[in-house]
Amino acid sequence: MISDIVVFGIQQEGFAYISQILSVWESNDLTLRTIEHLYMFGIAIIAASIFGILIGIFLFMNHRIANPGLNTLNVVETIPDIPLLVFLLPIVGLGTAPTIIASVLYSILPIARNTYTGLTGVDKGYIDVAQAMGLSKREILLKIRLPMALPLIAGGLRIALVFSMGIVTLGGLIAAGGLGASLIVGIQLYEVDTILVAGFWTGFLAVFFDGIAESIEKWLQRRYASW
Amino acid sequence: MVSIEVIMGNTYDHLILISITLVASIAISIPLAFASLYSRFIANFVIRFANLAQAVPSLAVIAIVVPLLGIGFTPALVAILLRALLPIIKNTYIGLSNIDPALVDYARGVGMSEWQIHRYIRLPNAYPAIFAGIKFAAILVNSVAILTAYIGSGGLGELIFEGLISFNNEKIFAGAIPAILIALIIDVGFTALEKRLMPFKYKNTD
Repeated sequence: MISDIVVFGIQQEGFAYISQILSVWESNDLTLRTIEHLYMFGIAIIAASIFGILIGIFLFMNHRIANPGLNTLNVVETIPDIPLLVFLLPIVGLGTAPTIIASVLYSILPIARNTYTGLTGVDKGYIDVAQAMGLSKREILLKIRLPMALPLIAGGLRIALVFSMGIVTLGGLIAAGGLGASLIVGIQLYEVDTILVAGFWTGFLAVFFDGIAESIEKWLQRRYASW
Repeated sequence: MVSIEVIMGNTYDHLILISITLVASIAISIPLAFASLYSRFIANFVIRFANLAQAVPSLAVIAIVVPLLGIGFTPALVAILLRALLPIIKNTYIGLSNIDPALVDYARGVGMSEWQIHRYIRLPNAYPAIFAGIKFAAILVNSVAILTAYIGSGGLGELIFEGLISFNNEKIFAGAIPAILIALIIDVGFTALEKRLMPFKYKNTD
């Protein structure tokens, strides 16, 4: 009897929490915010991985400019994120464009560097065997080096995911929407519920994507790590 | 027009904030890394937590700190610390634990005490990794310290946010350019210091 009442009480309290969270969620349009967030994040990641892998391959084919090229990207990396964002404002205006451009700029380096390292780090034995089998340089790049570099490229992509998640969240400061906008509303109006719900949801999304990237990286390592 | 005094004053606040947090994070994380050397449990916990917390966006960390500690200098300091601790702990731990076990055995063999092994074998072996962690943390601290101006820490971020609100490009750049310069100085300075302190690391590569 008593236990029934206690269980009922706990359930009611649990329901109260859930309904409170749901009402905060509704009043801040967090579904829309999440969609905006993931939209910017997705575009940034796809663009960054295309550019990053291409730059990595380009640097690999032109060994002489590899070091200066990577150092230039390194300088972009040291620039703090907000100054980079605000420098883009006079050029491309407010909103999603500067946010996406900034996250792409940040994410290119880890992907390009890891692609380059992965392509150069392939064991000489495999290359010798491939050459002996009569593969052309292009085939060696596409069929031997690139697959063997995949685990490292995935590692770079994982770093890039974390970076762009951070920048996309900052986009809230420059009217790009996304979950950052809800966080800013929460801080400005000092709505503790909004801050907590949006903050933990943003954190959860970031950790979730990081976890997916980690499992892909691990899978690729198992698949291609014969060296 | 933003007067030079305002820029200098904000730069000073910014430098104070980042140096306090950097020193505090080094002071906290190196003992923690040594502690995780002795206990598998702490090591697992620290590394897992470090990986998780590194994924969380800075703005989310700063926002969550507000309901707990309010706004101002101290909450900003805590928020930056939460971001800066992890790279140093992780790198220090990896540096300390990635040591050839034979080297430790030799040291025991010649009768070194546990303290001497730490002081003369493990720590020098870990210097490059620790240094890389501190450099990364310094750059991270600089960029998060701009963001914490949003919760009232002062510094260069204040100029940037004031400029953003009033759409005053001059003010934005008055905050952004010194911040970028500080970041570049940190990067170049730490690299130079690294070369000075650890010439052996650069011998093979050059």
